[in-house]
Amino acid sequence: MFFHIVLERNMQLHPRYFGRNLRENLVSKLMKDVEGTCSGRHGFVVAITGIENIGKGLIRDGTGFVTFPVKYQCVVFRPFKGEILEAVVTMVNKMGFFAEAGPVQIFVSNHLIPDDMEFQSGDMPNYTTSDGSVKIQKDCEVRLKIIGTRVDATEIFCIGTIKDDFLGVINDPATA
Amino acid sequence: MFYGFHPFFYSYGKGRKLRNCLFFRFFAFCGFYSYTFFLQSVPSMSGEEEENAAELKIGDEFLKAKCLMNCEVALILEHKYEQLQQMSDDPMNQVSQVFEKSLQYVKRFSRYKNPDAVRQVREILSRYQLAEFELCVLGNLCPETVEEAIAMVPSIKTKGRAHDDEAIEKMLNDLSLIKKFE
Repeated sequence: MFFHIVLERNMQLHPRYFGRNLRENLVSKLMKDVEGTCSGRHGFVVAITGIENIGKGLIRDGTGFVTFPVKYQCVVFRPFKGEILEAVVTMVNKMGFFAEAGPVQIFVSNHLIPDDMEFQSGDMPNYTTSDGSVKIQKDCEVRLKIIGTRVDATEIFCIGTIKDDFLGVINDPATA
Repeated sequence: MFYGFHPFFYSYGKGRKLRNCLFFRFFAFCGFYSYTFFLQSVPSMSGEEEENAAELKIGDEFLKAKCLMNCEVALILEHKYEQLQQMSDDPMNQVSQVFEKSLQYVKRFSRYKNPDAVRQVREILSRYQLAEFELCVLGNLCPETVEEAIAMVPSIKTKGRAHDDEAIEKMLNDLSLIKKFE
């Protein structure tokens, strides 16, 4: 799920950026530093949408760098255990399939795919029901439930399931 | 290997007590530390174990934060992308991979394209005393039946909340109307 939250960060700025454009420099450095990063706690920072306030700078001893506490609003993507969302299938193999929901990768193991779906190898590997009516392959859109997240300092990785009511393929580009 | 050359290591063989041997002390020390690490890791593990969006346990910080539906994110990111486009010729070069992937994702999964429709969806859903998170899941997935809605947002039916099937049905009807007249 995407959220709009306020975060705070201490920005260190080199003295060469001081002057009329200090604020702009600070903001552009913040965007460069923060956008695209991921923390286990807040998820992926997708985009900064505004600056709430920039506190008083503090000169660091010895270096001349100045630290500014900056409060900014941003759009983050944070997956939660138990959340249901839609994702695009990116890779299918006999162990299961990988799907992507925005910046996050989700793995669905073959134990968490309904039992009536069988793996079919070939140049377009897929999972198909015995009557062939439902097919999961690359670029399919699926609705899945996140049942586990592995969070480390710089990445979030999820495990999902489609073995539940109202989960599974939403549409298939090959048949649509 | 490293301790093999240490004089204290050999002194163990010369009849000293095991307790005074550096080798032993080193391991006792390590053991003690791994034990304290284990103790520290327990509370954080249980904190993570409790996270469950189906019961609306997503942490205070996110529960109070503003949730965004995919269509709203699409509006925000597209606006930002246009701004970047005006500043430079090749905006795709400037944005992060996270931004690019998110933009593609929300474009693909936006139910409502029209900004007015997006506003209406939020307005209608906010009449039903939903948490932000529930509101956005419903707005994103657009369930068609009451059972589907409950399967998508189980917390909607938990005790102490005034959502009977009729109220949910009415809500879903309102949503589908917006889609129809968009």
